[in-house]
Amino acid sequence: MNRRNFFSGAATAVAAASVSRVALAALPEPATQSSADTAPPLHPPTGRPYNPVVTLNGWTAPWRMNAGVKEFHLVAEPVVREVAPGFMVNMWGYNGQSPGPTIEVVEGDRVRIFVTNRLPEHTTIHWHGQRLPNGMDGVGGLTQPAIQPGKTFVYEFVARRPGTFMYHPHADEMVQMAMGMMGLWITHPNVGKGATHPHIAKVQRDYAFLLNAFDVEPGSMTPKVNTMLDHNIWCWNSRVFPAISPLVARQGERVRIRVGNLTMTNHPIHLHGHEFEVTGTDGGPVPKSARWPEVTTDVAVGQMRQIELIADEPGDWALHCHKSHHTMGAMGHSVPTMIGVDHRGLVGKIQKIVPDYMVMGERGMADMGAMEMPLPDNTFPMMTGTGPFGPLEMGGMFTTLKVRADQPAGSYADPGDFKQPSGNQAYEWQGAAANTPRPVRTDTPGTAPGAASARKPATGTHQH
Amino acid sequence: MTTARRLSLLATAALLAGCASVSPDGLRGDVTALTAGRTAGVPQAALPAMAPAARAQAQQSIDHWLAQPLTQDAAVHIALLNNPGLLARLAALGVADAERVQAITLPNPHLTLGRFTTSQEREMERTLAFGLLDLITLPWRTARQAERLQIATLQTAQDVVTLAADTRRAWLRAVAAEQVAATHERMVEAAEAGAELARRMAQVGNWSRLQQAREQVVLHEATRQRARAQLAAATEREQLNRRMGLWGQQTQYQLANQLPPLPAAALPADGIEATALRERLDVQAARRQLDTQATRQGWSRAGAVFGDIGLAYSRNTTTERATGSSDIKRGWEIDLPLPLFDWGGAARTRAQAEVEQSAAQLQDTAVRARSEVRAAWLTYRTALDLARQQQAEVVPLRQLIAQETTLRYNGMLASVWDMLTEARNSTQAVANAIEAQRDFWLAETDLQLALTGTSPGALQGLTSGAAASTTPQGH
Ligand SMILES: [Cu+2]
Repeated sequence: MNRRNFFSGAATAVAAASVSRVALAALPEPATQSSADTAPPLHPPTGRPYNPVVTLNGWTAPWRMNAGVKEFHLVAEPVVREVAPGFMVNMWGYNGQSPGPTIEVVEGDRVRIFVTNRLPEHTTIHWHGQRLPNGMDGVGGLTQPAIQPGKTFVYEFVARRPGTFMYHPHADEMVQMAMGMMGLWITHPNVGKGATHPHIAKVQRDYAFLLNAFDVEPGSMTPKVNTMLDHNIWCWNSRVFPAISPLVARQGERVRIRVGNLTMTNHPIHLHGHEFEVTGTDGGPVPKSARWPEVTTDVAVGQMRQIELIADEPGDWALHCHKSHHTMGAMGHSVPTMIGVDHRGLVGKIQKIVPDYMVMGERGMADMGAMEMPLPDNTFPMMTGTGPFGPLEMGGMFTTLKVRADQPAGSYADPGDFKQPSGNQAYEWQGAAANTPRPVRTDTPGTAPGAASARKPATGTHQH
Repeated sequence: MTTARRLSLLATAALLAGCASVSPDGLRGDVTALTAGRTAGVPQAALPAMAPAARAQAQQSIDHWLAQPLTQDAAVHIALLNNPGLLARLAALGVADAERVQAITLPNPHLTLGRFTTSQEREMERTLAFGLLDLITLPWRTARQAERLQIATLQTAQDVVTLAADTRRAWLRAVAAEQVAATHERMVEAAEAGAELARRMAQVGNWSRLQQAREQVVLHEATRQRARAQLAAATEREQLNRRMGLWGQQTQYQLANQLPPLPAAALPADGIEATALRERLDVQAARRQLDTQATRQGWSRAGAVFGDIGLAYSRNTTTERATGSSDIKRGWEIDLPLPLFDWGGAARTRAQAEVEQSAAQLQDTAVRARSEVRAAWLTYRTALDLARQQQAEVVPLRQLIAQETTLRYNGMLASVWDMLTEARNSTQAVANAIEAQRDFWLAETDLQLALTGTSPGALQGLTSGAAASTTPQGH
């Protein structure tokens, strides 16, 4: 598990609180981020107050106030993202990272975003889910000319509706998203002091991440942009287990998790040990009467799901995509199943030809999680990660929700492994061994219905 | 005629014929000198000796060479000592030498004795006669025969260098074929493992018959190629055996297990044509042939006109039967053909044509030598580049691919069969590298032969030219 300091590497730029008028006439200095770690929540130094979100393995962009307008500067550029320690991927992102910084504003804010293009090709930014003037929607060719390399465009609109949104290019969109260009946008509700929004609850923990997927050939560094579905690196915020930060909560806190999907397939996001409700989508908050309890919610392509729960069960609870291959690292999709194949007498023979050969998969693939075998350079293993009781055999869209009775409020420090109370953990049976007679095995391969007489039965030479 | 005068006459004749003695070593020393530095990289290659003791010693050396892994130098040594064809060729040179001596030895004078009786007289007639032309033309003929023998020696020397080159080539092919056969053994082992694992996969139901069949076919292909490689190794070895003149127990030798490494630098192409024209034995032989024909032109005129000049000395004794008194009649007699019908024009024309023929042949040989050495150098250079590419680039790349595939197998990104396939490909690259290395050394052998020895075609061309001359050269 990732025990790295949860908050190492804060954003390198701070929000500019007081800037001279002359400086305000110029472009805002773009902030850049060099770390893939989770940055602490950015409490608003200026503008309307709100409770900030925590972007998993990401950060929130600082802004400057210019005559009442919140100004951000996004720089579209090539980046090298640490998807996991030792696994670097050439991506395109914003301000040093993929995904780009989260933009947090308050309902009713006038927002001006400067977008500078440092990519080798043109780009735009589409503000997914927002109410805005059509000319600010960022669809290259349709609502604006694309931003050419080296150019800066300005988007400006009022964040009219509270909710969770995304931003991503709408110019050479498939390639640019396959390269990692995307970011989160949170519009906090504008409520007065002490008041609450009728459909948007106050929460103690507010987490946000995007689902994104890449196809990185083992031993290489750059995603294959033409892969449609057969991706091998399934990420949350361009990060894979065990490098995804855990979500932490003090027992009894209300926790919100915002999940947006910019991959090309759906992801059933599943939480252990708790029920939750979907309290909002990118369409806005869900009326309380329309919510129902779930332990898994499917986030379809291009959708945002905002779930909320009371973290009242202490422990380390798995939070993951329920498509089992999405919690795996790089896989060989054409590797045949080796289960049950007797390798006796062959190992030495193969080792004579390939000295480093070891039997794998004879019993299943769990060997892979335990064995530390040399892999190609810059290759994220198919399964990895170790917990207090052994290998987790995961990788990809997996992390944990750590609920502790003694987690200080507002602290996001990793509390470490959960200490299981005695009598509350599965244990090995110490009595007599189980008597489990096996069913009679049929060793003859089956035949297709109706095809039994189509082929003459083999005589004599059949190997079985 | 006094006894003294008679003796002096005989002495002159003996002197003239003096240079006409048979070479005691059958000219092998001359051949050895000509082939020095030209026998496929072996500096001091001995030829079969005439003396039985030396031959026994040579046999001992051969047994010694065969007792250890056979190097290419040892193979060339053995071939030059033991190849029966070469032995025959050297013997033929000895025959040619004897023929030369015979050709320039003065014909024995004719002694004619007659005894005639009439009723009165008894007449004893003694005539000592010999052909004058032979005597007059002796220096010419001596020189010409010597030149002819030089040509024959040069041609035998070419046989020696050709055999040396052929032996080296056979050794290179045999060693390479044996190494390649060993790589096929490895490829079959990889295919066997794959096929057996495939059988077990199908047995437990993880694979279909189709998938299994594909791996079985791979195994059959590998064994097919191994059979061919093994046959090639055996036949190449037999080629080498033939060059070395070996049979029976002697063929049980062990071959060296590696070809010589590639040289660090290639021979430069500068001056190769000049070297070939200066050094090549076939060019030298053609030049000598032209010299001989030119010299012969002068002799042919006299010979054609004065075909057979005879000189005879007669001493006739007539004895009267009644009285017993004798009368001795002495006298010289000269016999000259009258050039009424044949003024030697045809013979002169023929000689002239023969000079032209030889000149053209020399030019032909020179042009061929220049072209051959250029082609040989290009082949050599290309073969070196290709061998280096295979050895320094392709084999490491193939090994890298195999290693990387193993790493992918470790990560369950590739299958055992992918790994075995790459192991086979890697081994095939090694086999290709061995063949490229062999091809380089074959090209190097050809280049050396083209530079300082001869070309395989040149021998035939010169042989037909020599056969056109009047006296057979002992081929
Ligand atoms: Cu998924």
